[in-house]
Amino acid sequence: MRPRTLQGEEQILRVRKLFRKTRFGFFSLFGLVVLAISILSISTVSRELRDEYVSNSESIAKNIADSSVDILLNRNLATLQSLIDQFVQIQSIRYIYITSDTGEFLAHTFIPGIPEEILASDPAATEAVERSLPGLGDFIEVGSPILSGVAGTVHVGMDLEALGLRTRRAVGQQLYLLCIILVTGVLASIWLVNLASRPLAELLGFVVGLARERDGSKNPHDDVLVRDDEIGDMARLMQYVASGPGGSEEEAAGGSD
Amino acid sequence: MTRRSLVRSGLGALLAAPLAGSLGAASGGRASLRPRNGAIRRRQDDEIVLGVSAAFSGPSRGLGTELYRGSMAYFNHVNENGGVNGRRITMKLLDDGYQPDPCVANTIELIQDDTVFLLFNYVGTPTVTRALPVLKKFRDQQVYLFFPFTGAEPQREPPYGEFAFNLRTSYRQETAGLVDNFLSIGRRRVAVFYQNDAYGRSGWAGVREALARHGETIAGEATYMRGTQFGESMRDQVEILQARSPDAVICIGAYQACAAFARDAEDLGLHIPVANVSFVGSENLLALMREGRADADSHTRFLVNSQVVPSYEDTSLPAVREYHELMARYDPPPPDNVERITPNEPYETFPQSFVSLEGFVNAKLITEIIRRMGDDPQRSGIEEAVFNVRSYDLGVGEQVRFGPDLRQGLQRVYYTVPEGGRFVPLDDWETRFGLS
Repeated sequence: MRPRTLQGEEQILRVRKLFRKTRFGFFSLFGLVVLAISILSISTVSRELRDEYVSNSESIAKNIADSSVDILLNRNLATLQSLIDQFVQIQSIRYIYITSDTGEFLAHTFIPGIPEEILASDPAATEAVERSLPGLGDFIEVGSPILSGVAGTVHVGMDLEALGLRTRRAVGQQLYLLCIILVTGVLASIWLVNLASRPLAELLGFVVGLARERDGSKNPHDDVLVRDDEIGDMARLMQYVASGPGGSEEEAAGGSD
Repeated sequence: MTRRSLVRSGLGALLAAPLAGSLGAASGGRASLRPRNGAIRRRQDDEIVLGVSAAFSGPSRGLGTELYRGSMAYFNHVNENGGVNGRRITMKLLDDGYQPDPCVANTIELIQDDTVFLLFNYVGTPTVTRALPVLKKFRDQQVYLFFPFTGAEPQREPPYGEFAFNLRTSYRQETAGLVDNFLSIGRRRVAVFYQNDAYGRSGWAGVREALARHGETIAGEATYMRGTQFGESMRDQVEILQARSPDAVICIGAYQACAAFARDAEDLGLHIPVANVSFVGSENLLALMREGRADADSHTRFLVNSQVVPSYEDTSLPAVREYHELMARYDPPPPDNVERITPNEPYETFPQSFVSLEGFVNAKLITEIIRRMGDDPQRSGIEEAVFNVRSYDLGVGEQVRFGPDLRQGLQRVYYTVPEGGRFVPLDDWETRFGLS
């Protein structure tokens, strides 16, 4: 159904050009959607994971604080150390230390020693803080008082690098899905544009055929005249115009709504 | 696979037992062979099985091995002479590699699957601390832990003290003695280098308390991870302590790490006394530090180790003479068929050592306790039998005493320094380590 001449092929190319902006619009729209969702996703995931980290740290710190009361009152520091050694095996917990009500470090998990930044910090602080410890990394630290603070404070440090890794992994999975949606959308838009441009190509072919009828040859695209849509209307109108004053008005209007 | 019985081939054990007669003696120190499978296990009325979970592999295997050798020397002697009231004493060995989780699993296996008479010669604070709750869980079975190779407090105090009996003195007493002696010669700034676990914390707490009694605090502290090998650097730890300008360092660790620390302290110019508590395994530590060094004596001149048994060279003591005789007669080899966590490597035994002497006196006392339980020893009678040991001469120059409020038999601490490749008693702190 397509014009077999080079001229006809050029006309099809013109049809594609006609939808170039449409395609660009589709790409831009999908790109913007993906970008917006990605930014929102990164922001949401990292915030929620961080909140989850802080919440977990607080739970663990509270758990240790609750478990430590009798041990501390019995001055059984070996058991206390054994307790925090078990908790520090939990993924993402990088350090735990317990300070007394006077600020003395009673048990900790630091090797080869307690970092100066920790030594200089407020031993009774319980709010979540971010710490950067040279040679160790970046951490979120939370505290929990033991016996409302009169027996000391438990501090738990969670690894921010592990948090970053989890965030990247979660965001990466979402971006992977969005990329699949983007590619599918772009391919679908190309297919839809092609679908929309095909009747126009047929119309162009018909117009070229009309021009050739003047040379006595038969229009190979006259089947477009039977289309029951705007393309058919335009084809019939063009045939009417091309046929000059002798053309039938019925022919021009035929079959169309 | 971190825990396995010494011998899995139960059928082989049953076949071997009649041939072996007194297996422990006949094998010259091999661990007992007992089937693990309940279907083929049979009650052996002619033996009393002691369950042991200890370090027979990994960086602290020297401790478990020497403790076992010392005990086997005595048990071989007992078994060769008809056993205790007609029963041979054997040990069921499980390797925990000085790691808490395998120790817990081993303890459950020893109690549930192997139904040992009692638990014996466990090695280490982090391991024992975690095993104690298991004893509480099975309290209805009245399984007691005897003479663990640790001076920590958890098995001496509530809530688990009632499930253990200790022979050796505590880290609290050892560290207090070291602190008192250092302070008496003017070395008031005492720092601590310790294994960052329950054992290290127990010793750290002992130093802290002892210093507090003198109005002092710990001058500085540095830690290392359990399992650290001699080949690893301790430069960071030495530099942390150097920055605090201590007069002495007390190490609460195992021999590989403590030897590495003492080596690096000497190399980096930290020329102050470096003390170790009994758990370190003095001979293992000294062997590592002297290995391949022409200046070995000067390299180890700042070492001082506390001990919980008298010097094995003090042959004026009956128990030490007997120890020499039986170690020479049986020379128990290390357990050679414990399935190991780490690849097997040759282990060179020591003819005598403080650790094997401790294993020896542990065996001597448990034999006496079992003997006092009569012809039909039952777990329910164990506690009473121990409490009846009110003043028993073990032959170490100190009477052993137990009672409902006294679950530690010996109280003395000994101090030793290296001389000519051996640890000998330290008599004069001022001359050896005085600041002047």
